[in-house]
Amino acid sequence: MAYSTQTFYNFFALSLLAFLAGCDTNETLSLSKESIIYCSEGSPESFNPQTVSSGTTIDATSNQLYNRLLEFDPTDNTIIPAIAKSWHVTRDGKMITFYLRKDVQFHQTRYFTPTRALNADDVIFSFSRMLDVNHEYHPVSGGKYPFFQNAQLAELISSVEKINEHTVRFQLTRPDSSFLANIGSDSAVILSKEYADQLLQLNTMQEIDMLPVGTGPFKFKWYSSSSFIRYEAHENYWRGKSKIKQLVFDITPRDTGRLTKLLAGECDIIAYPIAHEKIKQHDNLILESVTAFNVGYLGFNTAKPPFNNPLVRKALSYAINKQAILDAVYTGQAEIANGIIPNSSWAYDETISSQEYSINKAQELLSEAGYSDGFSMDLWAMPVQRSYNPDAVTMAKLIQADLQKIGIEVDIVSGYEWSTFLRKITDGEHQSVLLGWSADHPDPDNFFSPMLSCSSAITGSNRTFWCNEKFDRLIKRALQTNSINKRKVLYSKALALINEEVPLIPIAHSKRFQARSNNINGKLLRAIGGIDFNGVTKN
Amino acid sequence: MARDKIYQEEEFPTPLMQLWHNFKEPPVVLIGFGCFLFLIVLAVLANVISPYSSVENHLDHLLLPPAWSDEGNVSFLLGTDNLGRDMLSRLIQGTSLTFGLSIIVVIASLAIGVVIGSLSALTSGIKSSFLNHFLDVILSIPSLLLAIIIVAILGPGLENTLWAIIMVLIPQFVHITRNAVREEFAKDYVLASRLDGASSLRILRYSIFPNIIEKLISQATLAQSAAILDIAALGFLGLGAPIPMPEWGAMLANGIDLFYIAPWTVYLPGLAILFSVVATNLVGEGMRHALKVRKEN
Amino acid sequence: MLIFTLRRLSLFIFTILLLTLLSFSLSFLFPGDQLINLTGQLNASPEQLAILANDYNQQFGLLSQYFSYLNHLFHGEMGYSMNSQLPIATEVLNRLPATIELTCVALLVAMFFGIPIGFCAAIYHRKLPDNLILTVAMLGYSIPVFWLGILAILVFSIQLGWLPSAGQISLLFEIEPVTGLQLIDILLSDNEYKWQAFQDATRHLILPVIVVALAPATIFMRLARTAMLEVLDTHYIKAAKAKGLTFSQIIYRHAMRNAFIKVIRDVGLQFANLITIAMVTEVIFSWPGIGRWLIESIYQRDYTAIQGGLIVLSTFIFIVHIIIDFVYAALNPLAREPHHGAR
Repeated sequence: MAYSTQTFYNFFALSLLAFLAGCDTNETLSLSKESIIYCSEGSPESFNPQTVSSGTTIDATSNQLYNRLLEFDPTDNTIIPAIAKSWHVTRDGKMITFYLRKDVQFHQTRYFTPTRALNADDVIFSFSRMLDVNHEYHPVSGGKYPFFQNAQLAELISSVEKINEHTVRFQLTRPDSSFLANIGSDSAVILSKEYADQLLQLNTMQEIDMLPVGTGPFKFKWYSSSSFIRYEAHENYWRGKSKIKQLVFDITPRDTGRLTKLLAGECDIIAYPIAHEKIKQHDNLILESVTAFNVGYLGFNTAKPPFNNPLVRKALSYAINKQAILDAVYTGQAEIANGIIPNSSWAYDETISSQEYSINKAQELLSEAGYSDGFSMDLWAMPVQRSYNPDAVTMAKLIQADLQKIGIEVDIVSGYEWSTFLRKITDGEHQSVLLGWSADHPDPDNFFSPMLSCSSAITGSNRTFWCNEKFDRLIKRALQTNSINKRKVLYSKALALINEEVPLIPIAHSKRFQARSNNINGKLLRAIGGIDFNGVTKN
Repeated sequence: MARDKIYQEEEFPTPLMQLWHNFKEPPVVLIGFGCFLFLIVLAVLANVISPYSSVENHLDHLLLPPAWSDEGNVSFLLGTDNLGRDMLSRLIQGTSLTFGLSIIVVIASLAIGVVIGSLSALTSGIKSSFLNHFLDVILSIPSLLLAIIIVAILGPGLENTLWAIIMVLIPQFVHITRNAVREEFAKDYVLASRLDGASSLRILRYSIFPNIIEKLISQATLAQSAAILDIAALGFLGLGAPIPMPEWGAMLANGIDLFYIAPWTVYLPGLAILFSVVATNLVGEGMRHALKVRKEN
Repeated sequence: MLIFTLRRLSLFIFTILLLTLLSFSLSFLFPGDQLINLTGQLNASPEQLAILANDYNQQFGLLSQYFSYLNHLFHGEMGYSMNSQLPIATEVLNRLPATIELTCVALLVAMFFGIPIGFCAAIYHRKLPDNLILTVAMLGYSIPVFWLGILAILVFSIQLGWLPSAGQISLLFEIEPVTGLQLIDILLSDNEYKWQAFQDATRHLILPVIVVALAPATIFMRLARTAMLEVLDTHYIKAAKAKGLTFSQIIYRHAMRNAFIKVIRDVGLQFANLITIAMVTEVIFSWPGIGRWLIESIYQRDYTAIQGGLIVLSTFIFIVHIIIDFVYAALNPLAREPHHGAR
């Protein structure tokens, strides 16, 4: 009896082994050689970066699916041509003409077949959708264009005209020193007007942001909600077809999950790796980083008590031990943020120093504000890892311990999925939040207007809801001049104002990390904006 | 060994004493029972014996490995986590949360379950049949799903998960009490006292409970090991104990992000859970074995 | 057999009714507006809400509301997920097959290994193999499943590199979902890498299945051991021994079959337990099943999804129960007869 069962089990085990062993045939090898699996940290909220400004969405869409008129040089962040092969600015700075390339082809997908190359109509459509509130596509997908509304481009741009098939002219109401940088930012992508017209006829306009058509190196194939995105190479890409046939974004929100997949070889590249020492131990893995333009901060909801009182906010800024946070959360891979501007920007002001850590001062201010017995507050910790904040929950725990010393009870809110989290804090459900900002373009204005201006308090990207007229005047004046010295003086005043009013406590400027297997070549990481798979190869 | 008495002992041990005699026989069970008592002591004295506070951050000692490793430090015997909190202290204080609370949970659901179970055993007809089916439905819903639903109603938090687990455990006690009481009621000695004019409640109190108590205790140990695993699982999923609490499941979840650089933050809480569940199961196993032996004799 | 079927069917209907009642009452118990909890229409305008209220008989009594809810359920309308704003039915249909695949394979594996090992333990009763098996079984059902999953990934995916750690199949392969059951879909597809995809999917299945199957397998071991011991103690076995049959003849011809029937009866009860384990395992192995979806739904406070998940998952468990009951009845003629006297 024992014998026959034994043989059966042996046979079973052997056949199973034989079946599983014969895996690495040449065919699979060629399939995996032509595909890259990128493990990303979250789901995109939309496939159109015009409508969202979150880094996850920008990473997944902007450089992969689309092109802009201008781009930034990945090495020195200067403005370089892209769809616009050249441009001309009049002397008064109020008229900018772009000359477009003639060989830019749109994606052919299962839902759209283009009949013509990109021309001036597409550019005008892409900008009118955002600028013109009466445009039929303006209200589609919610009608919010955070980047453009924060930069107040609707007020700035008085018209966009077609000069001929491949020439477009922007008229501005006033000269603006950050205009070209804004046009080159990740959100200023060019959509297809032909596709939009097709959808208009079919009355399925909302599909323009969910089933995207662009001119970028990859085209959309499939999106499985919060699971994966599948792109394939765009055959007629104007810079030449990508060597990668298939690009998959494997959405893996858990930090350990991404690292596990990298170690087990299930991902070629992972975003925001943890456990850097562990990655360095492996010879076949590469850990890379780039100094990013960002700031991680603790933001107060200044519309809600007790944080509508600047004294309370100031008190908290004394009570938080930033150095401890830097050691525990950033493992020393960041700098303490004195203000919201990182020191690699020309607007950085070294005279503004970081708030000292002093429990006594914090307690004095608290009793001055009438909260000598302390109070309890909620602190929302973002559920995903970003370069500016690699581990918000741990940071929240440290802040919880810090604030306990001055009698404040902190209730940590986390666990929401990223897009739900953003929606809730945009609605102002929080009292305070751990968040951050990554710049869209190198101009320092990108740290001021989208984060703290009154207009961004309305669109929701200013999650502190702080609206200070003096501050708004300062940053507006800074945009009207081209003189860097004058701008620097104005930005210093704005920074001092932030330090006085404390709508947020800047915590750190950090590097952005990425880990990949060593058979992936190419430069993906950018100091500014999202990742770029153009020119990435695998051997 | 020479026997002092050649006659059989005159005194007759009580049922519980008999149970204890049979219970302590296998050495494994005795070890398990020892561990169980040890855990109870830890849970009660957690605050006294743990060397540090469970939430104190030692910021100069982040991610210290256990003391037996080269980089370890004897003052942090089992190392520290990413906020410099002493693992040993957290594990000890976690005992009173995960293990200690599981006992409370089981006692509460046992009490409620027995009351409902005996009442339902005394009723009959459509009400009883409905209750029976209702319990069947509840029992066939996965316990974790049921706990999740209750947590969804009450909101996350340690206290609410405890209520959830109490409610999840009640049906099995109702079930077993009901069946045991029915079984006993059919026996002759109950008929005898009934003929003496005893009321149903009196019969329950004096005749039936003493006879089903071991069955209930043995079910309670089973329920306790399930309760430990459920508390830990909910903590692991982030639905249970709030963030700074050293509940073992929540500690393990916190350790997952450190797994590759500080594996002890995952190994240790997992071992603690395994240890307490094995100890509980050994006690339960011994109990059932002893009951069986007594029945056979 | 007809009576047996009718009995089971009426019990099933009764149970499902109770379950829908439970789920319906949940919409009142969950925080927030009852109608929104039921339909998941978070962003509905007041006019749309009025239409919905009419749709769900809100102007009538509770009983009428319940029947309207039942009516919607029978038409496959379980409302919309509050999180994704997709119909719950679609979400469930996308995920349930993955769970079915995982749990059914795990159940079969648990029985395939658990029951024979349990018989083995009974045959060597109170000898070394028996003690060894009992110890392993004790560890097996004491180990917290999330810990086991993490350790399994560490050992088999990272250190040995044998098996993948997450998901149902490598994303390299594009498989058109037809039935939703991955292995069957692969066989149906006309992908040029079909066989590679099949192997890959099988490799993805192994670790989660082992993790899910371990605890139920140890329980089957104990059940099988007890059942076999009981059978070996019966008079007909003793009679067979007295007739001079060899030990293996007794085990194979008489004991095994009867003990097996006893175990089968309890398999259904273990299935709810197995689903619980599978829910946690799905989270750890990022298995795109309904358990992970439900746990994520609670993070998002997606009450409509929780109600829908409860109904679907419990119905699935009942169906498996009934299938096992029928298997039991097919194997054991005694069970087919109507019950006489008390149960």
